[in-house]
Amino acid sequence: MPTLYKLLTALLALTGCAGLLLTGEISLMMSSGAVALIPGYYRFFLGRQPAPVYVIGLLSIIELIIFLVDATVITGDVFIAVAHLTIAFQALKSFDLKEPWDNLQVYFVSLLQLIIASELTSSLVFGGVFVVFLMVLVAAMVLSHFLKEGDREAGLMRKPVYLISGLTLLMTCLFFVLLPRTPYRFLGKSHLKNIHTTGFSEQVDFASLGSITLDPAVVMRVEMEKDIPGPFYWRGHTLDHFDGITWKNELPRSRIRKQAGEFLIAPYQAEQTVEQLITLEPMDSEILFGLSEIRGIKADSFFLLADSAGDPSMPGKTSRRVRYTVNSLLADRLPGEARDRYLQLPAGNQRIAGLAAALVRNVRGNELKAKALEEHLKRGYLYSLTIDAPARGVSPVEDFLFRTKKGYCEHYATAMVLMLRSLGIHARVVTGFLGGDRNSYGDYIIVRRSNAHSWVEALIDGNWRRYDPTPAVVLERSGNVLLFWDSVAMYWARHVVGFSPADQKALFGGLRTGLLKLSYHFPAVKIPSIAAGLYYAALLIIVITLVFVCLVLIRRRAGRVSALTASYVRVRKALSARGLTVTRSTTSGELSAQAQTFPFHEGLSKFLEHYNARRFGRAGADTSFPGGIAPVLKQIRKK
Amino acid sequence: METVLQGKSATIKMAVVTLLARGHLLIEDIPGVGKTTLAFALAKSIDCSFRRIQFTSDLLPSDILGITMFNQETRSFEFREGPIFSNIVLADEINRTNPKTQSALLEAMNEKKVSIEKNTLLLPDPFMVIATQNPIEYQGTFPLPESQLDRFMLHLTIGYPTPEYEKQAVLMQDSFSLLEDLQPVLSRQEIVGMQREVDSVFCEDSVVDYLMKIVAATRDHPAIRLGASTRSAQFFLKAVKAHAFCEGRDFILPDDVKQLAPLVLAHRIILKTRKYLADAEMLVREMLEKIPVPM
Repeated sequence: MPTLYKLLTALLALTGCAGLLLTGEISLMMSSGAVALIPGYYRFFLGRQPAPVYVIGLLSIIELIIFLVDATVITGDVFIAVAHLTIAFQALKSFDLKEPWDNLQVYFVSLLQLIIASELTSSLVFGGVFVVFLMVLVAAMVLSHFLKEGDREAGLMRKPVYLISGLTLLMTCLFFVLLPRTPYRFLGKSHLKNIHTTGFSEQVDFASLGSITLDPAVVMRVEMEKDIPGPFYWRGHTLDHFDGITWKNELPRSRIRKQAGEFLIAPYQAEQTVEQLITLEPMDSEILFGLSEIRGIKADSFFLLADSAGDPSMPGKTSRRVRYTVNSLLADRLPGEARDRYLQLPAGNQRIAGLAAALVRNVRGNELKAKALEEHLKRGYLYSLTIDAPARGVSPVEDFLFRTKKGYCEHYATAMVLMLRSLGIHARVVTGFLGGDRNSYGDYIIVRRSNAHSWVEALIDGNWRRYDPTPAVVLERSGNVLLFWDSVAMYWARHVVGFSPADQKALFGGLRTGLLKLSYHFPAVKIPSIAAGLYYAALLIIVITLVFVCLVLIRRRAGRVSALTASYVRVRKALSARGLTVTRSTTSGELSAQAQTFPFHEGLSKFLEHYNARRFGRAGADTSFPGGIAPVLKQIRKK
Repeated sequence: METVLQGKSATIKMAVVTLLARGHLLIEDIPGVGKTTLAFALAKSIDCSFRRIQFTSDLLPSDILGITMFNQETRSFEFREGPIFSNIVLADEINRTNPKTQSALLEAMNEKKVSIEKNTLLLPDPFMVIATQNPIEYQGTFPLPESQLDRFMLHLTIGYPTPEYEKQAVLMQDSFSLLEDLQPVLSRQEIVGMQREVDSVFCEDSVVDYLMKIVAATRDHPAIRLGASTRSAQFFLKAVKAHAFCEGRDFILPDDVKQLAPLVLAHRIILKTRKYLADAEMLVREMLEKIPVPM
């Protein structure tokens, strides 16, 4: 077996396993068997004997038992357990590669691994792994075909391998453009790990306090049509009900009216708003973010909901990446209705109410009162991410206000809302994200989990106004390399994983516009419509496929010569086994001369004569070979 | 021919191949192993005229080509044809004569015509020169320059016969009387016809590629100073075709190429170190073992 072939098999097994491991979704402990691939293929390269059958059999049974336990107890997920099983299989198979069929099994399982991996991740690295896999797989398949044909000439093989690999890549690209990605996943259920943001949550829960780490993971990337100055308040969720420990959203929700393909929360004039194209990473949440105050949304969904505070959300939680466009009105104050729910207070709020009253004793007017409270919180308290849990029975807000005087945004926002409410001012907590890094490589804003924030909205003189009592905190910016990498990942997610029908339309539209511009100079050329263009592209693929198939068929016909060569190679092998010197430079005449003394000489020389005439003689020469090659081979092999 | 030159069928075959390919033969061997016998037998068996020129250091070009003499009776100049005007010419010990005479012969070989004064005279068809060279004695010789060696299609060594054949040869009657008894098997016209047929032998592409690979290999071998020329490749293919024809085929095989390669190429390459033809022949054989045969 040529080294190249061995190498490709090893490479395929390794790519398959690497593809799975790189997703980071499978258990490292359960897939530790992958380590065995290295000694396995090392032995394979050295040409050692495969492991004894009983060892392989025993290990297979153990593997199966582990799989059952894995699927039911350890991970409890059949899908992940299958992923573990494939890795174990690859490891085991590396010790048991005997026949070409074994190699094909390796190919098949590594393909399976890649399909599983594609379900588990959509990251850029996986894309690279997949391209490598594709090339290697095609090369290996072509090579195995040639090996079957018996053509061992490396030079002969290399060209078709490159050619077919290139063709496959081209076809993949064509299919990529022609078949846009749909939101539906291949195996129905998404196995993406649910991401729970450390900073943002739908409800603020002071019962689970502890140290919060600043997670740099990206939550969303925003492309904005206009350059507007910050700070950016990415509004997510409005919280109205606080029971002393937990904030909740109990606002009524309703479906958003859809008008001309856009979900309209409130009517707006396009020139007053800012359009944002948002790519939301999987968050396991139904909330849609946008600059405050969201007016309209364009999203790929049947319907959207909005609560009475005007915050949109999807009909259900999703673990997918979501792309949508938001139009937001950036205004200082927005008219709102006074509802009793915005005055709700938890029991035992007297101490906070007292503090509030004391702070605004000399202040007249709600606006100034709110300002005073905001200033007080900003000045007199420390921002900290490490908060000790309060003593039993003590309200966490009181603990923050009167004892520790340290807290993070949620403490500040809660304290301010409670104080405002105790003063009779309608107020609510808003959670979302603040700021974000501008990535100049792709000209978009990256919002990370560490950007999570809560702030306050108060209803003053019939208008909701935003207050942010949290002292400003300087966050470290990422380095250029990271920003560049992020822009590549963004591009990947946006244009490759998320290649949507709209993108396809835009691509063809752009192509058509270009052609139209070009055709200006050639009036005789008619440019087809997009639909016709798609049709032509599909036609092109079909034609290429047909031509390819025809070529293969023609090759098959012309392949009689190559079949003849294959039998010649078989004869050579058989002669070599009988002890004749058969090298690459041995001619048929030399074979015949060497075989003088053997009993099979007559049959052999007849075959060689036939071979020579067919292979090197004029085309169409009458050269039938009665009886075929089988009896000749049998004669040669007979001792 | 087998009767006069026993045990040397391969050598005879190569001589016939050269004849059919319209080439010339260079035989390099020690005296007394049958070079002359081979040439004479070949001429006899195809009903052709045969002349032998013993090359000596004082031989002049006119001794080969002929001279123009004044005829007293007709009172005009007349051309007396030299020994070269015959079908098969044996140029014995060609390296003994001076370069001037050598090149006169070689020019005639190449162009198949002789220019004397204003007249151009065609040489008979078929025309073949069999030149012999003694590889041992170098004293007082003028080794042929490479450009002239190039004009010989094949280069052969005869070698000593095997002991059994040698014994027979010793016991047998004088080989010249045997030669006298040889009857022609082919007429001159038939030879010319066969030469034409050789031209139409079919050459499959991969075999030609194989041939070109071998020629190219002589050019970048580390031990070779100068590889084979393009003319060598042309001669090579011609010889291969003739060989295939002799084997009764109308197409060439890698076998033909491989068998002829040492004979065609050895005298056309210049080695860096040693200068014997046998060394070059060895080298070509070594090279052949490294070049894959088309399958």
